[in-house]
Amino acid sequence: MRLKPFLLNFIFFLQVLLLFLLLVEDRIELPVVLQVLGRFHPAILHLPIGLLFFFVIVVLVQNEFKKKSFRRIALYILMFTSLTASITALFGFFLSRQGDYGGDALFQHKFSGTALSILCYVLLILFDRKGKTEIAFYGCGFVTIVLLFIAGHSGGTLTHGENFISGPIKSTERVDNINQTAFQQAVYPILERKCTSCHNPSKAKGKFVMTSIEEFKKGGKKGEEWKSGKPLESRLIQYIHLPLEDDDHMPPDGKPQLTIQEIKLLEQWVRSGGEFDKKLTDLREDDSLRILAAGMSHQNEAVVEKQYSFSSASEKIIQKMNTPFRAVFPLYMNSPALQADFFIKEKYSPNSLEELKEVKDQLVVLNLSKMPVKDEELKTIGSFTNLEKINLNFSEIKGPGFVDLQSLKNLTSVSLSGTKVTIESLKPILSLPALRELFVWSTGITNAQVASLNMQYPALSIVTSQFVDDKVLRLGKPLLENEGLIKKGELVSLKHSMPGVTLRYTLDGTPPDSLTSMFYDGPLNLTETSKIKAIVCKEGWYCSDVFEITCFMEGYKPVKTELLSKTVKYYSGQGSASLTDGGKGFVEVLNTPFWLGFREEPLVAGFDFGSDPPDVRSIVISFAKNLYSSGFPPTEVEVWGGTGTRDLKLIKSMKIDQPKAYISSQVEALSIPLLDAHYSYYKLVARPVEKLPQWHDGKGKKGLLLVDEVLFY
Amino acid sequence: MILFMGDEFLKNRQHITRKHFLGKLGLGFGSVALGSLLMPDLFSGKDEASVSAGMAHFAPKAKRIIYLFQNGAPSQLESFDYKPLLTKMAGQELPESIRQGQRLTGMTASQKKFPLIGSHFKFQQYGQSGAWVSELFPNIARVVDDICIVKSMHTEAINHDPALTFMQTGAQQGNRPSMGAWLSYGLGSENKNLPAYCVLLSRGRGNGQGVYSKLWTNGFLDSIHQGVQFSSSEERVLYLKDPQGRDRADSRKMLDHLASLNDLNYKEFGDPEIQTRVQQYEMAYRMQTAVPELTDLSMEPDNIVKMYGADCLAPGTYAANCLLARKLSEAGVRFVQLYHQGWDQHGNMVGEMPLQAQDVDRSTAALIMDLKQRGLLDETLVIWGGEFGRTNYCQGDLSKDNYGRDHHPRCYTIWMAGGGVKPGLVYGESDEFGYNIIKDPVHVNDFHATVLHLMGLNHEQLNYKHLGRRYRLTDVAGKVVSGILA
Repeated sequence: MRLKPFLLNFIFFLQVLLLFLLLVEDRIELPVVLQVLGRFHPAILHLPIGLLFFFVIVVLVQNEFKKKSFRRIALYILMFTSLTASITALFGFFLSRQGDYGGDALFQHKFSGTALSILCYVLLILFDRKGKTEIAFYGCGFVTIVLLFIAGHSGGTLTHGENFISGPIKSTERVDNINQTAFQQAVYPILERKCTSCHNPSKAKGKFVMTSIEEFKKGGKKGEEWKSGKPLESRLIQYIHLPLEDDDHMPPDGKPQLTIQEIKLLEQWVRSGGEFDKKLTDLREDDSLRILAAGMSHQNEAVVEKQYSFSSASEKIIQKMNTPFRAVFPLYMNSPALQADFFIKEKYSPNSLEELKEVKDQLVVLNLSKMPVKDEELKTIGSFTNLEKINLNFSEIKGPGFVDLQSLKNLTSVSLSGTKVTIESLKPILSLPALRELFVWSTGITNAQVASLNMQYPALSIVTSQFVDDKVLRLGKPLLENEGLIKKGELVSLKHSMPGVTLRYTLDGTPPDSLTSMFYDGPLNLTETSKIKAIVCKEGWYCSDVFEITCFMEGYKPVKTELLSKTVKYYSGQGSASLTDGGKGFVEVLNTPFWLGFREEPLVAGFDFGSDPPDVRSIVISFAKNLYSSGFPPTEVEVWGGTGTRDLKLIKSMKIDQPKAYISSQVEALSIPLLDAHYSYYKLVARPVEKLPQWHDGKGKKGLLLVDEVLFY
Repeated sequence: MILFMGDEFLKNRQHITRKHFLGKLGLGFGSVALGSLLMPDLFSGKDEASVSAGMAHFAPKAKRIIYLFQNGAPSQLESFDYKPLLTKMAGQELPESIRQGQRLTGMTASQKKFPLIGSHFKFQQYGQSGAWVSELFPNIARVVDDICIVKSMHTEAINHDPALTFMQTGAQQGNRPSMGAWLSYGLGSENKNLPAYCVLLSRGRGNGQGVYSKLWTNGFLDSIHQGVQFSSSEERVLYLKDPQGRDRADSRKMLDHLASLNDLNYKEFGDPEIQTRVQQYEMAYRMQTAVPELTDLSMEPDNIVKMYGADCLAPGTYAANCLLARKLSEAGVRFVQLYHQGWDQHGNMVGEMPLQAQDVDRSTAALIMDLKQRGLLDETLVIWGGEFGRTNYCQGDLSKDNYGRDHHPRCYTIWMAGGGVKPGLVYGESDEFGYNIIKDPVHVNDFHATVLHLMGLNHEQLNYKHLGRRYRLTDVAGKVVSGILA
């Protein structure tokens, strides 16, 4: 048991040392080693706290121990409590001699910490004297614990700043006030978040206090901390920009750093003179400080809602205002401000606007776009005193009624695009105090007039035509209205979606021109399959590219059709039926029931017209010219005629010209003229390309013949 | 055996004393009470109905959205993400230090070489923002100071369908409500004469990918929130004309009677879908007046036609859809969704990309300018972009004058304009290979959270209980990208 007396003595020694150092505090020059030890204060301070509470617990449950062992355990715990408390206090003293601590909190902490160290020692002595002084022991214990709380709290204030504990409760109490200055609204919140935990009256690091404007102006121990207008010469800004490792960098390493936006805002505030009286709303809309401050409010993600001085309209009234043609609704949940939209101009009446007077105080946004609103009705609108935004695009407003809007002191945005307003009539609006945006596109007001107005009213942005382009554009191609095979007697009509175009066309395959080709003035009555080529023209535009389409007319229908050769996989359509069912395919989509494809074998098909065959003047093969999918015209066709499959003779054979290069895909007609053909049975043979030409991607391979219909005329 | 054991447990429980029971009860209540202190809304009785009663949660920046979806994934490297290094290193292998084990599609998985290739098209800086735009988009370059280019989008899917579905519904599987349906549910319809959510389709001249109605589905939400697909034909909404021999007054009478019958049915079964149907009938009736005026493009003045280009009068073209989108949006349609197909350039980038760009460039820029000159741009959010990006290396063999690019989910570019987005901003950055994001990544969930935020909705509060749990567009992720907010 030699440890106990040694420890007791050592602890006593520490108490004396501590008191002595405190006495001669001002004359001490601290060696570096001790400075380092001082920095361990925040770490080891947790030991005496824990041990003290552990001691309290052991005392509370002493009945669980044998009496003798309890005393020994408790004594040792208390001894180490006292030892660590003394060391903590000593280290704390070392720490207080460096760094820029100051103020009330330091004094309080120093005093309570020292007292705590001594009290722990007294407690130890009292306990050691075997319970004769029980009341004194418990009394002293209670005081020690109270003191622990005081020392702990003041220490916390030093490191984390004032109001650290109550922070979350207090900060929500702050209400944004419109009367606040820019400093209060934008700058101080940054200082409060990042600086005042150290730079406050109780801690006053570097003797610089930021919590009051006077102190903030006065500066710290090196004097003024910032120069108005000169951010680069201000220590306040310089320290922020020092590298993080630098001892002077602010906020110190380990504390929450300023964001780029916050730094920019502080700089801008100093640069713009560091004023304390200006309000944000006094600044111009494009003032850098105002823009930065506006950006900040988003950055905090706490959306700062605009405050309105008026109260909400009753839900009943709002409900009553709503019809399918007039929507009235709050801007957002629980907002007193209302928006009103009108729809369908036939349903608009001046009265329906008048009815809004029931919510005239709450109406903030009014959308009358495309409604036949006249100048007289602006009187009604003038009574909606809190109106901020109005849309009168394409209404029948001419301008004289604008005098009635002069009462709208909060109006910030007016849209008048597409109306007949004149520049003179705008005067009453231009002088509205809150106006920031005016839209006058497609009115009688010229761009030059807008430019001069923009000069006169720099705070107001006047928007007109966004589109300045003298480039002449090409018209789109016309369209064929008919679909599929054209029935007998059906008229063929072309159309173009742009009003006022002239459409010219040819039927003979020659390219149409804008002057001499046939003028299209109504649907065409075509008698046989023909290729239409057409263009559209209009003043101020380039004529369209040539539109080409083959119109396939219905022909004689055979009684029976047989397919006598094999189609290619994927392009087998519906077999023989595909050839004469009247179904027309699309040239881009080939794997459909319409198309029959031939590659290995030629197309061989028989058409039986039965006992009463018609006079056939020509046969038309409708095929897909889709060179990208190797769909080529046939190289050669043969037509055989007779009474049945057995006695057929060749009545016509033709070689077909082949394309020389890639051309756009089309469904084309291959017409085979016949003379005196009056057979009851025809056999048609069409051969696909044997070898694709050199210029084609699939050169040397076999080509494809794609047929969707064979027509007889 | 199990029954027997269950019996024992039961007996054991029956032996609990009142003291024990009350003690346990006190502890249980105490812990719940303590827990509730941390969750202020736990016992407030708020359910999803009160949170999203068809109204913005806070002041919205944008009131409507026009989403110009470029289906098939346009290459960021030929449009807005300029990477001169790829031209310099053309033909060289993609370094493994950049690829970092990125999985590949089935189309290039067996490819042995991954030769880098730069844009065939020239880039230039435009506007005050100095953003780089390729020569394929001269008109979008003109409005570059009005748009916010996000170069750091990334997604989880690598194939079209899941990626597209993810972008539209926040999940890859395709049974969730799409973005437009969520907005219709969260904000309601502004104009009761039109659907809140309209869908317009068009097809370009490049290699295309399909779109399906699951992309504009209401999912588990009420079917009134489903997107209404407009036809690409001249009659944009089918069956809207009065049938022969029946006029509007007859329809009115018929609908009134039908409504009374439906009401009887509703009283008997209480199925909310019956009410939905009655509402749909009524809206269709009013659409008979509202729609013809909107879809009739022939009355558009010449300067508007010139702005959007001549194609804008031909129904079913992208230009016509842009013009119609503006008209619908102007009339209060909450969400207009366009899909333009044909951006899947696995090969023939040099041939197809200019055709695709030509189709969209002019009319897209026109839409921005048109909204601006009407004073609508600040309340309309326009979004342009695809479902993922394209690789910085060539798919297949790199030939002298052409190349293709495969799917790339790790980094791609979209842009937004108007509606509370910072104009003239380029947000995020990819590395000099255009392969990985090096600054400010934006996940699809973040994108959704941001879009909802701009519309005045908190993405964590906009939810719907289905099959026992609450669903959100952003599911369990998503963070508002505050850097792009104006």
